[in-house]
Amino acid sequence: MVKISLAAAAVLLALGFPLLFSGPFPLHVAIVTLIFAGLGVAWNIMGGYAGMFSFGTAAFFGIGAYTSTWLSTAHGVNPWLGLLAGGAASALVAAAIGWPCSNLRGHYFAIASIAFAEIVRTHFNNWKLVGAAEGLMIPIRDGGLRVFQFNQSKAPYYFIALAFLALALLACRAISRSRMGYYFRAIKESHELAMVLGISFVRYRLAAIMIAAFIAAACGTLYAQYVLYIDPESVLILSVSVQVVLVTMLGGAGSLFGPVIGAAVLVPLSEITRAQLGARGTGVDMILYGALITLISVYQPKGIWGFFAGGLPRRKRPAPQPRLEPSSPGVA
Amino acid sequence: MLNAKRTLLLAAAALIALPALAENPKVIKIGAVYPLTGNIASTGLDCRRGAELAVDIINGKYDLDLPLARTEGIPGLGGAKLELVFADTKGEPKNGLGEVERLVSQEKVVAIIGAYQSSVTKTASQATERLHIPYVCSDSSSPTLTQRGFKYFFRASPHDALFARDQFNFLKDMEKKGQKVKRIAVLYENTEFGSNVGKEVVKLAQEFGYELVADISYAANATDVTSEVGRLIKAKPDVLMHASYITDAILFTKTFKEMNFRPKAIMTFAGYIEPAYLPTVKQDAEGIVVRSTFALDLAARKPLVAKVNELFKKKYGTEMSENAARSFTAPFVLAAALDRAKTTDPDALVKAIEATSFGPGQVIYPWEGVKFDPQTHQNVFARGILVQIQKQQYVTVWPFDSAAAEPLWPLPPWGTN
Amino acid sequence: MLQQLANGVLIGCVYSLIAIGLTLIWGVMNIVNFAHGEFLMLGMFVAFWGYALWGIDPLWSIPASAALLFLLGLAIYRFAVSKVMKGPMLAQLVVTFGISIFLANLAVLLWTPDFRLIDKPLLAGTWNLGPLQISVPKAVASAGSVLVSGALLLFLQRTRTGKAILAVEMNRDSALLVGIDTERVNALSFGIGAALVGIAGGFLAMYYYIYPQVGGLFGTLSFCIVALGGFGSIGGAFAAGLLVGIVQTLAGYFFDPAYKYAVVFLLYLLVVWFRPQGLRGW
Repeated sequence: MVKISLAAAAVLLALGFPLLFSGPFPLHVAIVTLIFAGLGVAWNIMGGYAGMFSFGTAAFFGIGAYTSTWLSTAHGVNPWLGLLAGGAASALVAAAIGWPCSNLRGHYFAIASIAFAEIVRTHFNNWKLVGAAEGLMIPIRDGGLRVFQFNQSKAPYYFIALAFLALALLACRAISRSRMGYYFRAIKESHELAMVLGISFVRYRLAAIMIAAFIAAACGTLYAQYVLYIDPESVLILSVSVQVVLVTMLGGAGSLFGPVIGAAVLVPLSEITRAQLGARGTGVDMILYGALITLISVYQPKGIWGFFAGGLPRRKRPAPQPRLEPSSPGVA
Repeated sequence: MLNAKRTLLLAAAALIALPALAENPKVIKIGAVYPLTGNIASTGLDCRRGAELAVDIINGKYDLDLPLARTEGIPGLGGAKLELVFADTKGEPKNGLGEVERLVSQEKVVAIIGAYQSSVTKTASQATERLHIPYVCSDSSSPTLTQRGFKYFFRASPHDALFARDQFNFLKDMEKKGQKVKRIAVLYENTEFGSNVGKEVVKLAQEFGYELVADISYAANATDVTSEVGRLIKAKPDVLMHASYITDAILFTKTFKEMNFRPKAIMTFAGYIEPAYLPTVKQDAEGIVVRSTFALDLAARKPLVAKVNELFKKKYGTEMSENAARSFTAPFVLAAALDRAKTTDPDALVKAIEATSFGPGQVIYPWEGVKFDPQTHQNVFARGILVQIQKQQYVTVWPFDSAAAEPLWPLPPWGTN
Repeated sequence: MLQQLANGVLIGCVYSLIAIGLTLIWGVMNIVNFAHGEFLMLGMFVAFWGYALWGIDPLWSIPASAALLFLLGLAIYRFAVSKVMKGPMLAQLVVTFGISIFLANLAVLLWTPDFRLIDKPLLAGTWNLGPLQISVPKAVASAGSVLVSGALLLFLQRTRTGKAILAVEMNRDSALLVGIDTERVNALSFGIGAALVGIAGGFLAMYYYIYPQVGGLFGTLSFCIVALGGFGSIGGAFAAGLLVGIVQTLAGYFFDPAYKYAVVFLLYLLVVWFRPQGLRGW
């Protein structure tokens, strides 16, 4: 009962937010939060559920943003169509890179994702067709929803971002409850287990990566249409990918709403501390950020959601195995 | 009866209060967006200082030819004082957007200045264009900023296409002095700034009829640049044009020395004029030419420069730098426009800025002044100069009529001076 | 061409020194220290402040870098990393990211984002060896890196503690079986790993510029190097470091300097796809 009323309150707040806080800055923070929440959900599908911890989400975010922007500025394609094209392009690239990487484990996968994302960034940085380092600017246009650009107010962006997030969450939930989700959890637990169960885990891993890439790309298009300017330094850099991981981790990886909670805490924290402290130029907000992340990993790896779901964290007990526990430390 | 008495009392009170109100000049807030943290925070600090000094001069009473220096505050608005509200962009374009919106909606600034990095200025000015707020930029150099047909955006300083052209004009002038040049190499860091310059140089090399023998871009934070320099050596250019930030400027200078790369001239943009460059590389920088808008030796022909530099030194303990000098201009444009418009209404302000007309004696650069093109809102009088490092000082060498010394050509061998 | 190869080897040796610290930590604890680049940065700052405050040349302050970083490594292990050892993989990945953000920005707060350079190092200039020009500080750094790596190998193979570390690297459970205190080994390895990259920082400070974010690219490269070399393999990490240095330089010279790091990353991907355990890993 409590859960339902909390959920209802959250939904009402989400819908009514632009009425309560109608200034451009709070809406800006909210929109960025929603975009990162969406990215976090995308990441969660790959990482939180299927155990593939990618630090290269920015690559798909960027491919989405660049595809739709380039199509619209160079060829007049409607940004909504561009969004679909970006999603498709992202998914294809994801499949291409995901297939050879599909049996990489843990740290190797993470590093491979960093390497891949850096290659993408370097390439876009030098690719004259898409403006190379200068990036692409979207001209100011009237037309509202039809051209995916709103110049009078930010509220429409907010609602679209909210809709994107809702769709992503629905997708995540559907996957998690489906057979695919069950298999994801199996793969995450153990490769060996997955093999024993005879699952073609390459296929499912690829599926996870492609879906995540599509969602990330859609967020990229939204970002581009909102900021009206993209360049490799703003959409393809490592810190964007890291931010996505941290947001999800903080909120609770592997839980449906984890990324939303994480984004709702981290993004405003970062924006507000920058606004308050940043003008003095000392980076204190980032220090707090780093400390927070470290503390969360150490004390509550299940993230904030872990507090709701499991109460206080308990040390995971080591699996019972025949082994001698050293009775006194420092024998060697 | 009671009502009338009350009304009279209130009216009397109001009449007494009015002069008091009028005697308290308002404060007019101007938003300043700069990278105050992050990799180029030291540049952000430079820009901040330039802008702050400008506002000091406007708000105070100084015997200088700068606009509104001799009055306190803005006379046309009852002596209202300007106040800069700084915001940190961290060098990210999306923060340019966010901070501008915050400054306009929460801090109620009437105009924006900044943001040094062209990529951030792009988004920041898109925000002001949507919000209908004037934006006067005097420190970002991407040519594209004034090619967008924006109504609310103005740029007072020169841009990279002008700077690049300056360098080629210099080469042509040097040819008249008998120094022949045929082969040009261009080297640039691969973000917005560098690649823009690279593009311009490639275009101009063709226009001026030089042979482009190398076109090399690199990552500014490279761990090692021996391969880049190796390629340059192989290309054997007469002149190298290099667009860099400060860190790569230093790395390349060291690597040039290490690998003994010595063309006839090295002509550079930006990084080589940062305050920390020269003290670090000392005599290894001898002879390098840098584009600039400002040089301390202009004081010889323009005493205003020396006076302003004195004020800067007194306030901050260091000489005025190129970046501080550039950011110095925007507040004056705004102050003069506010004075002319006698209102903070954005559209009236824009009209007033369009009518800006500073003379050569009112700027600290060798310009004819400030006047904005009605179409592009670019200051048509903005131009660059070239300074050369001679005996570890920046010396103006071009245009020859503003020069303080003869250019050193070709570059001296390593280890002299 | 020969010159470029030589340069590749020179920068490669420095990469190797950075990488062996990382591979030690990885091999022993199965943790990628994403804050490794920041340890490098701190080592560089130790060298810088030694120079700026007391005029100590970076060459002599290297032991200080090593010692301070060793202590820092121990502390970070004790207070953060040890607690995630039994936690989920994600926590293990992220904890060092958090530390890296914390350290880099703490450096910004303490020392400003300005970059610094040691302007009059003891070792400067170039040697002319026949057709080659070898930068003196880079050569010394490379020699130092080889010496330190050699010393590490000797330590691991000849001393009791070293052998304990190797044992844990090879098989944690068996090591426990024979009574090795794995916690102590972990802490030591983290400390030694940090000390090693601190030494690399001291060498690098002789000729590279120093600022809080300097760890970024070096860090990313070192992850690839270690994974290339195979996790846990000191020799593999050393070889991979040299390989990356050479590939980077040759790619920059023959192909396109703007892509030189992309080529390194591509190499990493290719190796890892066809030989997932790296060149010499197990």
